[in-house]
Amino acid sequence: VSTQSTGSSGINAEYGEFQTFQLLSICYFDPEHNWWVSKHIKKPIRSTILCVDWHPSNHLVAIGSCDFKCRVFCSALKELGDKPQTSNWMPKLNKFGTLLAEFDTNNGWVHGVQFSPSGNQLAWVAHDSSVNVVNSANLTKVHTVLTSNLPYSCLLWMSENSFSAAGFNYCPDLYTVTADGVTFTAKMDVKKEKSGGGAAMSAMARFQKLDVQGQSETGGTTVDTTHENCITEIRALSRNPATGAVSKFSTSGKDGRLVIWNFDALSSSLGGLKI
Amino acid sequence: EAVVSTQSTGFRTVDVDAYDEDNYEDDARDTGDSGAAEVTERANQVRGLLNQLKTKEALKMALKNPPVGNKDASVKEQNYETVVSVLKSFKAADIDAAVADLDMVEIDILMKYLYKGFTCSPDKAASLLQWHEKVVAKGGLGSIVRVMVDRKGI
Repeated sequence: VSTQSTGSSGINAEYGEFQTFQLLSICYFDPEHNWWVSKHIKKPIRSTILCVDWHPSNHLVAIGSCDFKCRVFCSALKELGDKPQTSNWMPKLNKFGTLLAEFDTNNGWVHGVQFSPSGNQLAWVAHDSSVNVVNSANLTKVHTVLTSNLPYSCLLWMSENSFSAAGFNYCPDLYTVTADGVTFTAKMDVKKEKSGGGAAMSAMARFQKLDVQGQSETGGTTVDTTHENCITEIRALSRNPATGAVSKFSTSGKDGRLVIWNFDALSSSLGGLKI
Repeated sequence: EAVVSTQSTGFRTVDVDAYDEDNYEDDARDTGDSGAAEVTERANQVRGLLNQLKTKEALKMALKNPPVGNKDASVKEQNYETVVSVLKSFKAADIDAAVADLDMVEIDILMKYLYKGFTCSPDKAASLLQWHEKVVAKGGLGSIVRVMVDRKGI
């Protein structure tokens, strides 16, 4: 039973969570005994959990798993004196571990899930190359985009109305959310085509291509994105505390690269893109 | 001489995975797709449209509500034949316009039938590949990915 990933909640350093096979552990620090205690959420998770995100209030947690579903649970801990509020996610107060919502719209593993800055919306990306958003005001209506690219593995809300998704297409893509649904807005990797490659590739270039892209043939499929392999993580670097808007973010991938993107600069080169 | 076991070896044929309570079972989701009667009705309507040379309309009709959840293989087979009959009736030059008319859901369904065609009707591979090229131009790699991750099969 291995740990798939860990995360910690934003507000309170006392929380943490980690996921293992079919199990979500919510951990908190017990100062009296000077150790971390974990409480498990198991039902009705049927397969490995791939991603986790905290709601800004800390009292809810969303997960995406290999049983093709995205779920929201109550994670309020009375041990820590949590006083959760009722909300659209939790219309009446529930105890820890209660399943609040389950979304079953996908045919692929759910690779990434995230609450919007306000916590009212939830977006997730799955291996069927889809992007999904739901607003807690109407939990029965999931807005889905069946994209034409390879699946995304991670996403990041850039503001309350937009998020960026990245993955096997090697490029962060921007999506906009309105009351009517979610639409693809722009590819954020705007780059000039790389020159080079072709028959006369030096030994060093050949090795680099094998190492970074995992390709051994020299016939040039040059990659015209900054990342040369799957992007696995996307994180906010600087976020406006008042509006929740992200101005800088980073991506890292299987090509071993960590790339920092300046969203404000990108918006001007993409023609006044607003989030 | 060799040692011979006198005990039963029946235990070797027990399916231990069947007893694992953590075993994942794909739940049968009600996708609201069509049954035998609807598939037959559709085949008739499509034939009618093809006789009137309304190939684009025939294609849209053929791709409606495929019997994905239906456990009867012959129903699926019948629907597949309907779709193939439409694909065959197109001139190569008209494929572009027909594909342009389809939405993403129809594109995904068509892609699934194309891949089924590659497996079941290899003799038709040449024309299927023509369609494939046009459908990928619109549906992209995403539509192929959705064929690969599809668990029910069309």
